[in-house]
Amino acid sequence: MKIALAQISPILGNAERNLKLHLDYIRKAVSRKADLIVFPELSLTGYNLKDLAVEIAINPRKSSVFKKLLEASRRIDLVFGFVEEATDDPGLVYNSAAYLSRGRILHIHRKVFLPTSGMFEEGRFFAAGRQFRPFNTGRVKTGLLVCRDFLHYGSSYCHFAGGAGMIITISAAPGRGIDDPQAQGFETSRMWELMGESVSFFSSAVVVYNNRVGYEDGAVFAGGSFIYNPFGKLIARLPYLEEDFAVLEVELAEITRARKSWPFRRDERPEVIWQSLEKIIRDSHED
Amino acid sequence: MKINVSLAIKALTGFIREETRKAGFHQVILGLSGGLDSTVCAYLAVMALKPEKVLTLIMPYGDLDKEGVSQARMVAGLLKVKSREIDISPQIDTYFAAYPTDNPVLKGNKMARERMSILYDFSAREKALILGTSNKTELLIGYGTIHGDMACGINPMGDLYKTQVRELGRQLKIPEEILAKKPTAGLWPGQTDEGEIGLTYEELDRILYLLVDRRRKPEEIIKAGFERKKVWRIVEMIKKSEFKRKMPPVAKISARTVGHDFLYPYDWDK
Repeated sequence: MKIALAQISPILGNAERNLKLHLDYIRKAVSRKADLIVFPELSLTGYNLKDLAVEIAINPRKSSVFKKLLEASRRIDLVFGFVEEATDDPGLVYNSAAYLSRGRILHIHRKVFLPTSGMFEEGRFFAAGRQFRPFNTGRVKTGLLVCRDFLHYGSSYCHFAGGAGMIITISAAPGRGIDDPQAQGFETSRMWELMGESVSFFSSAVVVYNNRVGYEDGAVFAGGSFIYNPFGKLIARLPYLEEDFAVLEVELAEITRARKSWPFRRDERPEVIWQSLEKIIRDSHED
Repeated sequence: MKINVSLAIKALTGFIREETRKAGFHQVILGLSGGLDSTVCAYLAVMALKPEKVLTLIMPYGDLDKEGVSQARMVAGLLKVKSREIDISPQIDTYFAAYPTDNPVLKGNKMARERMSILYDFSAREKALILGTSNKTELLIGYGTIHGDMACGINPMGDLYKTQVRELGRQLKIPEEILAKKPTAGLWPGQTDEGEIGLTYEELDRILYLLVDRRRKPEEIIKAGFERKKVWRIVEMIKKSEFKRKMPPVAKISARTVGHDFLYPYDWDK
C-alpha cells in the first residue's frame, strides 16, 4: 500500500484556499499512484481558529467542500481535518478527522482529548468527541486519532482492541523545547516519536502520523511526520519545520507477520481491562 | 540554559519569512543600536530574506553613544543592508527644553518612543514590517519602554534569554567586539544594563529560567543556592511589569467584548 503524507501549512480560516491546496496535493498523490493521502489536523481550516471555529464549521452531508473531496476520493482515499458542525446535536462543533474512500464517508472521528492548558485552548472552542471506533477501509481495519488523542495511550488501545491494523493520527503539534543541543527536533518531537514507536510495536500495527508545519500567531508547528511499521521500525520521517510531500510504501502483510511473531493481539483480554476499568471508575468516584 | 542553536535559527528565520509574507510585506525594518540584540536580529533577518529586503535605521541621540553608532554602521556594512541615520536629538532637545527633567529614565523613555515613532513612519513609507528586538530577559523583567523599544510588528527573539541570544550571535558569527561588549540601553554615557538592574545577565537568566521555564518556586531556587534578595527582586520585577506584556484591559459591560470574548487569531486568513 502506498501512503502519501502531505506535510503542509494550511491558511488560517480560509477553507476555499485550503480546498485548492488539498486538491493540488491529491493530484500529486494520484500521479504517484498512492492509495491514500493523509493531511494534518484541521487541514481545511488551520489550527488557531478561536471564535472562527464556529463560523467555519461545516456539515459533511451538505458542504460543497466535502462534495469536491468526495469526488476526489473516487481516485484515492483521503484523511483530512476540519471543523464539524454536528447534525445530531446542533450548535456543537468538533475538531474532526474524516476518512473518505470511493466517493463515500467511511468514518468521522471527533477529537476526544482537547488540550486546554498552557498555549492550548481547544476546550473553549470545541465540543469533545466521545468514542474511538476502528472501521474497515477495504484494505485494513483502521483507527483515526486527532493530535492529542494519540498522547493518551488508551486511545490507541481502543483501536488495537477493536482490531485495527493501522492507526492514523493527524496533528497540528507546535514544537517546544530546544534545550537539547544534540537533538534534531524539538523536545516535543521526541514525545510523538516515542509514542509512534511504542504503539506500532505493541499493537503490531502501522502507525501513520502527519503533523503540519508553518506558523500561526507565534506557534511554530514542528512537522516531523512519520510512519512506523508493525514491528516498531521507522519507515520514514519527514523533515522538521519544512513543508514536504512523500509517498511511502507500507507492506500490510507485515501486520500478519508481526502478530505471528509477537502475539500481543491474540493474547489481549479487553474484557479484563474493561472489568478492571469499570471497578476503578466505580471505586474512584468522589462522595 | 544551553540551547539547540541551529534549530532555533531555523525556526526563527522561518518565522520572519512567513510572518512577513502573511502580513503582506516584502521587506522588514529594524533599528540598529550596535548592541547584541539588534545585531543578531539583523543577521537573522538577512538569513530569512535577502539583504536588499532588510532596512535598518540608526537613530543616535547626538554623540551619546558613538561606539554604538560605529558598530551599527559596521553591521549594516557587513550585511550589505540598506541603512539610514537619523539623529533624534533636535526633537528630544526641543521637548525637554520646554519640559526639563534631571531624570535619565524619563529621557530614555522619550528617546525610545521617538525611535519607535520614526520606525513606524518608515514602516509605512517603505512598506516594511517592523522587527522587534526585545529578548525574553527584558520582556520578563520589564526592562524596556512600553510603546517604545517594545513596540513592533513581530518579535522573533522574545523567547530567547539574553545569554541565549549571545549563543546565537556566536553561531551567526557577528563581530567579536559586539559579542564582548557590556550590554547598554544607552540612557547615559557609561550606562550598562547590568549596572542598572543590579544583576549580571548570567545570574538573571539562570534564575528566570528556573522560575519560568522550569516552574520552580522562589524558595526552591533559594534552597538551590541563589541569593534570597536577588531571587525576590526578580520575582517583584516580573510582577510589576505585567502591564508591559499585555494589551490594556477593556472594561467589559456588553455581551461580547474585544479582548474578552471576541477572540480572533492574529494570522486570520493568512
